[in-house]
Amino acid sequence: MPAGKGRGEPNPGRTCVGKTMAMLCRLREVPRHLLVCEKSNFGHEKSRHRHLVETHYHNYRVSFLIPECGILAKELKDLVMDSGPYYFVKDLPLHELIAHEFINTFVKKGACYALTYNTNIDEDNTVALLPNVVSIDLMDLSSKLDSKKYKRISWAFKEKKPLKFDFLLAWHQTGAEGSTMMSYFSNYRIQERQPKIALSTVTDLPCPVLRSGELRGEPEAACSAQELFEWLGAVFSNAELNNEPDNFISTYCCPQPSTVVARAYLCTITGFILPEKIRLLLEQLCRYFDEPKLAPWVTLSVQGFADSPVSWRENEHGFRKGGEHLYNFVVFSNRDYWLQLAVGANDDCPP
Amino acid sequence: MPAPAAAYERIVYRNPSEHHYMKVHLEFQDHGIGLNAAQFKQLLISALKDLFGEVDAALPLDILTYEEKTLSAILRICSSGLVKLWSSLTLLGSYKGKKCAFRVIQVSPFLLALSGNSRELVLN
Repeated sequence: MPAGKGRGEPNPGRTCVGKTMAMLCRLREVPRHLLVCEKSNFGHEKSRHRHLVETHYHNYRVSFLIPECGILAKELKDLVMDSGPYYFVKDLPLHELIAHEFINTFVKKGACYALTYNTNIDEDNTVALLPNVVSIDLMDLSSKLDSKKYKRISWAFKEKKPLKFDFLLAWHQTGAEGSTMMSYFSNYRIQERQPKIALSTVTDLPCPVLRSGELRGEPEAACSAQELFEWLGAVFSNAELNNEPDNFISTYCCPQPSTVVARAYLCTITGFILPEKIRLLLEQLCRYFDEPKLAPWVTLSVQGFADSPVSWRENEHGFRKGGEHLYNFVVFSNRDYWLQLAVGANDDCPP
Repeated sequence: MPAPAAAYERIVYRNPSEHHYMKVHLEFQDHGIGLNAAQFKQLLISALKDLFGEVDAALPLDILTYEEKTLSAILRICSSGLVKLWSSLTLLGSYKGKKCAFRVIQVSPFLLALSGNSRELVLN
């Protein structure tokens, strides 16, 4: 470091050290992420569970875990098998989704969802159709087909730059029986798909001990919602849960306190899953405890499409290092529940 | 007497995850090269050491799952070590003289997010 430098003059040595420290700090940074943990009871009048399920539109994976269960009850199994269908349409022109007939046939007679397939939201154009459309309100447009606005939009989609995408589509019908997706889009390459279902049981599963009133857990008495959330990820990833602290490969183990259950039932459904189907699953899991059960709680977790432009409602969703937006219910035997909502860097806080 | 229904409570955690999780796959230019879990972990440690030195080679790193057949793994690293681990994997180019590369499939602060990957949905 040069000697004899006066006060106020820049010191190159210190500047260099400062920049190095800043770089070292950046090496330790990670993108911002948020985890919202809520607790409530399904009997509460203002419980938001139904609203949060129904406003998470583009769901890729739904899983549930039932401790102390070896065989799935018929009602639950029927719901799982009825979690589809969804549709895959290739090279669908975008203007078809604002066509008068499409709006009358599907949008007005239920809840219609669409998402472009195989488009990465951080690289490509991505299109999504929500049941309550935002930037182009189809309900509003359909009543003004001669309006300049409708003509401009229609021209943009058809003439200016004919946009075509491969789409995933799903429709929850509430109106009278009419056309089906397959017949409506018969001029395009449309396929009806069923979600993939994976069912399994695991034996001797260490499970965290939880107290429904203690989201943060209680030392030596109950685990926290965060610990439960990580444990659930370990279970569904088939990670080893019983490692010793000195194990070279992995030191991960089930959070304490824990109990070992003789067996647990796991189910995973993947595809383009309707929020309405997920709501039915959640309601059925609540009814699981109508009869006495050994299980203290069950879980239902839902993961959104990484490339959906929205997370909940019209909250913008993005992909930084990962496109996670997911939520998990823990349903307790007394109808208390925990709800964890997790998002990554480019997302607003979940509602 | 049954416990009263839980009162509503909401907690928002900003950057709560002490760990980040990476789903990775090791790819060799030539086929037929196998590593067991211990060798795989040693490879990760030496990658960290080559780039960042002895201290960072001792970063807490777990291999939560490992599939020897496909050389795929889910890794758990302390969040402050994510950038160092990821850059070490990026710059690793060989193992015992054989050319190889790490493919990072998914990264998340939430392990549950790694149990599904919508970008792997194949319909064509």
